[in-house]
Formats: sequence, structure tokens, C-alpha cells
Amino acid sequence: MKALSAAFLVPFVLVAFFGNQNPALPDGDESDLVELGRYLFFDPRLSGDGSLSCASCHIPSKGWADGEALSTSYPGSEGFRNTKSLLNASRVDYFYWDGRLDGSDAETQVRDSITETHFMNMDGRLMLERLKQIPEYVQLFSDALAQEPSFGGTLKAISAFEKTLVTGASPFDLQTMSEQAKQGKKVFDTHCSTCHSGPDFTDGLPHNLGVPDNPAVFDDPVRHATYRAFIKFLGVPGYMNIRQDVGHYSVTKRAKDMGAFFTPSLRQVADTAPYMHNGVLETLEDVVAFYSARGPALSAGEQRGLVAFLHALSGPVPVVDEPSLPRYKAIDNWMEVRN
Amino acid sequence: MKRISQIPFSPFLIAVLFIGGMQFSVNGPFRDLAALGPPPTPADNQQMVDADGFPIATDPKVELGKILFYDNRLSGDASISCADCHSDEFGWTDGSDLCRGYAGTSHWRNCQTLINSAYFAKLFWDGASKSLEAQAVSAASGGVSGNGEKDMMEERLRQVPAYVERFKAVFGTKWPNLADAWRAIAAYERTLIQTETPFDRYMRGDKSALSEDEIAGMALFEGKAQCIQCHDGALLTDEKYYNLGVPENPAFAEDASRQITFRFEQYAKGVPEEIYRTTKTDLGLYYVTKRPEDMGKFRTPMLRYLLYSAPYMHNGAFYTLEEVVAFYNEGGGEDQITRNFGFGTKTDQIPALGLTQTEQRQLVAFLESTSGEEIRSERPVLPEYGSMILEEGDE
Repeated sequence: MKALSAAFLVPFVLVAFFGNQNPALPDGDESDLVELGRYLFFDPRLSGDGSLSCASCHIPSKGWADGEALSTSYPGSEGFRNTKSLLNASRVDYFYWDGRLDGSDAETQVRDSITETHFMNMDGRLMLERLKQIPEYVQLFSDALAQEPSFGGTLKAISAFEKTLVTGASPFDLQTMSEQAKQGKKVFDTHCSTCHSGPDFTDGLPHNLGVPDNPAVFDDPVRHATYRAFIKFLGVPGYMNIRQDVGHYSVTKRAKDMGAFFTPSLRQVADTAPYMHNGVLETLEDVVAFYSARGPALSAGEQRGLVAFLHALSGPVPVVDEPSLPRYKAIDNWMEVRN
Repeated sequence: MKRISQIPFSPFLIAVLFIGGMQFSVNGPFRDLAALGPPPTPADNQQMVDADGFPIATDPKVELGKILFYDNRLSGDASISCADCHSDEFGWTDGSDLCRGYAGTSHWRNCQTLINSAYFAKLFWDGASKSLEAQAVSAASGGVSGNGEKDMMEERLRQVPAYVERFKAVFGTKWPNLADAWRAIAAYERTLIQTETPFDRYMRGDKSALSEDEIAGMALFEGKAQCIQCHDGALLTDEKYYNLGVPENPAFAEDASRQITFRFEQYAKGVPEEIYRTTKTDLGLYYVTKRPEDMGKFRTPMLRYLLYSAPYMHNGAFYTLEEVVAFYNEGGGEDQITRNFGFGTKTDQIPALGLTQTEQRQLVAFLESTSGEEIRSERPVLPEYGSMILEEGDE
């Protein structure tokens, strides 16, 4: 926190604060785009068999994560990592625990989620034809992008919507923390802030902390098969016999990145249990105890203070109404109109 | 008369035309009808055959292929197997006019029977696949059929200990390879053969195998009805492609899901945008060749196992053989290509036939004589997922 001056924080706090007070919807075309994105975000027709939407794993009431240790996956597969929250995700340097996508390219992250086998397993060509069969979407695409429903437009709209998922000022930002949290902040500054640095409390870098394995990843045959298919796709050598999550290694293929995962933001962390890349720690108390066990050991009071501080990093969450989804409609004069 | 008399041998020509007309001689070339022998097997996917050359069901490759054929894990969401659209209960089709397709989608063509599919040089109505092996992967991975992703399907197989053992025994590999799964399925499909039909017995010399009506129908088939022009040889197909003017299936004008798939298919098959925007008819062989003259042409289907595999035609437009015969009797239908594009591709080989009601009934009787007994199958018990054992010395 030493590096984090109050002056540096002010603009961020103001944006976050007022962004929350006034729904974080931009004006004009951008607001049409966000509105389109809101619909698409909740629409399961963006998955191959129509069973999953973005919101199936990024559930608004669960901190825009899913509350599970390991994420829900496309039917027939099972997740092998913890779902990350979408709150403030537009500010990350890299997407996913293994950092395989650039944080400045949200559209690619959306594309990846829609088309990846164990996420939504959707053929993009089929997806856009589904969207064209929904008159309300044809209108929304026309309003927002002056085009017919398209795959690229879908990515733009959903990523624009996700950029509005910004939280408001927390007790930490407003300097209204409890005494216990203030004590916890001192512990944090001493032991945690090297990696959990900056306005979002992350250095944006991968580290291997020795987080215990989640045995479900390899004990559950479907999770194991899903994980194997994924690291095979990423070109990880020897994938048949790997029995650990290789983390960032799957991107770099460098030994130093084996088992390394990107430092998560700590904003809203109290909303997004369970924790770590594999959800193996259920509560913030467990997380703090895990670090304490690694050393240096923290007293029970220090641990409580640290947990209180982490709770003080949550601000108001944007309220998003789940839309009532429009239905497919047969085109009446099918033989006469252009496709 | 003066002009005709100037043509040498004109009385002879007139006589030939007259006699030809009387006999309803059919323009060649075509192959004679024949009994069906054993199917070909590809050099890169050999399987056990009996003394007569027919693939046998007890071949371990076939046994593996049968289990895989029924395994829903060879699809995207593990909800659908080959057997769901090629069910023995519906003549190894799904019994629908248009195939059901993957969850959340609809298909857009009629499922063809697998019985005797082993003999085809190419698969699908537009001949898009060159082998049963290639057809299997297309069906399992297509967006409106299986929607399976190859890495995921392969790793699922590797997660099933019984499959690891069976693939090792059949293919000699340490882990199941997906390409071998399609080989095994194709080997199984090559056992789905029906050559013991009244027609085949008749062609092999048992003249009591066909009834009088069926024999009369066969004569019409080879004569007045001219079916043999395209439905020739032992398989009763020339495996060539024709536009007959089959009417549109009304589902496309009424059903949102079919409309989605119709457009998706245009997009996925890579037609020029103007054709994507304008066509309302399935362009068939055109998707493979991209030649306008191939628009609306579909491969002549084999005329076997028809008793069990209704509805008929590429879009399931007809539910009964009587409807099919009546369609041909009128010389086919309106050219949908003309309707869509202003030029025609309909074959000139299907004139109105002038068949009487009796003749139509006899023709249907003959078409039913090529089916034989219904082939049913017992659904195998699917092996379960299990843990993969890390072997000593592996890395």
C-alpha cells in the first residue's frame, strides 16, 4: 500500500463511486450496445445445446461467479477451475487463472467462452443464425450496431455489457474501515501487498503458491477428461500423464510457470467464495490460515484483522435486471424475403 | 412425306421407334438388376469376413464399433449417439421427415438408412463424405447433428477403462484414438447388410421368390416406368445426382428452428453471399462442387430396405411409396431451382409415365420386395468412466 498514494486512488474512487450511484450505462449508441449485451449475456441460446448462458457461471447473486469450487461446464464435461467473478474484470491485465488471454481484449474472452468446448461449445455460425431468428434481437443489433445480428457484434455487445460490471467505493476507498480492518490492513501491507498491489490489489503476474490440489479434478473421470482435452488443445506435452494443474505453463511452456496462477484482484473478494484457482479453500478465514501456515505465521488476532480488511474491499455491486428473453419466431413470408 | 422419304431406311427407323415404344425401351447405359453380393471394405480399415466375404459381427473391431455407435459420449453434450438418428426401430433412420438433430437445433435433411450403406461410394444426400469413416466424424461433429469436439470426445474415450482395453486389443494403441473410433463404427456399419430379400433370391434363380405382382412391377421398373435409368445394378442406384423437382418440405416455411438451420447450412457450406441471401431450396450437390448446374441435385438413393425407412426423398417429402410412385408418374415436380434462380437443372429423364393404378400398385409391390426381414439390434451396455492409471515409466 505504500506505493498506493491517496492521490492515485482518487480518480478511481470517484469513477467507481459515481458509476454506482448512477447506473454505469454510457449514453447513446454505447447504451444500446450494453442493452443488447445484457440480453445476450443471459441467453442460453448462445450455447451449443441451448443449456447455458454466460450467466449460468457468472451469476449476479453470487458475485458474478458461480459459488462452486469448480465451475459448471457444458453438459458432458466438468469444470476443473474456479469461476472468476466478472466484477471489475474489465481492469485485469490477463483473463483466466492461467492468463491465457490479454485483458485488453475482452471480445476474445467472450468468443472463447462461447466457443470453447467445455464452456458453451457453440458454432458461431449457428449462433448468429439463431439470433437472426429473434425479431427483437434483429432490432437491437440494428439500433446498437446498424447491422444484422453477427458474431463479431455479439462479442462487442457482451464485452460492452461486462465493462459496466464495476463495483462502487468500498469502506477501504471511503476510509470508513473498522478498527479491526485497519489493523488488518497493517498486516496486509506487511505480508500481502507485494503481490496484491495496486488499485485492484494484484500485480497481474503468475505465482505458484503451493495451493493444495483439489482432488476432484483428477478423481472425477469427467473432470479429468475435460482437463486433459483442454491442455491437449493448448499443446501441453505429456498431457496424458499430468496429474496437476499446470497453470500458466500451458501458455508459456516454461518450467518456472508450472503450477503458477495469476494473482487475483481482491476487490469484492468477500462475495466470491470459494477461493483459489481450484476453489479448494472455502472461506477467507481458510485463505488467511493457508498463508499463515506457509509462514510467516500470523496470530489469531492478525488473521481476524486481515479477514476484516478483506471484507472492507467490497463496495456496492451494480444491479442488473435479468431480461425476459424474446422468443424465436418463424419468418412469415419465408419464401419471399431475403435470408 | 416428301421429306421423310428422302431419309434412307425411314420405314426401318419408324419400325424401330414403334417397337421401342411398345417395349418402353429405356435409354442406356445402365446396369442390369442383380442380387447383392458382399460389400467392399477399405484397404485402411480391414475387418473379418466370412467365407462369402461378408463382414462378421463377432469381429472385435465390429463389437467395439457397435458399442461406440450407441455411445452418447461421442457428441457435444453427451446427449445423442449415432443410434439416436439411425435407430433400428425406424429402419435405421429416425423415422422423421427431417432428422431430429442436436439438442437446441433441428437438422434439415432426411436421415438415410444405414442398412446396406456399406456399398455406397459416397455418403450423404449430396455425396459430401467419401467413406463411412468420414461420414461418422461429420455426423458426430456437425453443429446440428452431434456438435462434438474432437479432443473432448477422444479424451472421454480414454477415460473409459473398457475402451482402453478394447482399442488396445483391436488397434494396438496405448490409448484410444478418435480416428480409430470412426473406423470401428464404420466396420460395425458394414455388418448392417440385408441381402436376403425376395428380390435377391429371385435374381439368384429362385423364380418363386417374387409374386406375380412383384414380377410385373419389376418389368415396369425396367420398362415403362424407366426407373432403371438411375436405379440400376445390385444396389438399385447409379450413385449419380439428379434434380427431380421434389416439393419443398413445408416445415421450412413454418418452423423457426428449421429456418435457422437452413441459413446455417448455406453459411457453413460456403456458398457466395448472394446465394446465401436468396436460396430457399436445398442446393444439394452444388454445396460440394459449387457448380450452378449441380444445384438441387441429390444422389439417387438405393431402393433397398424401403419398407422400414420411410419417409422418402432428401427432405422426407413423401411418407409412402405410393406417393413416390405417383410423383414419378406425373414426371416429377416443379423445378425448385427455376423458382429460386430462374434457370433449371431438373433432369429430362423423368417424363410423365402414364402408369395405371394397377401398374402403380405393382411397382410399389416390387419396391417392397427389396427389403427382406427387418434388422433389429440389441442395445449394448455402455462401459462406464473410470480413473486413468498412471503407468510406471510414463511421463
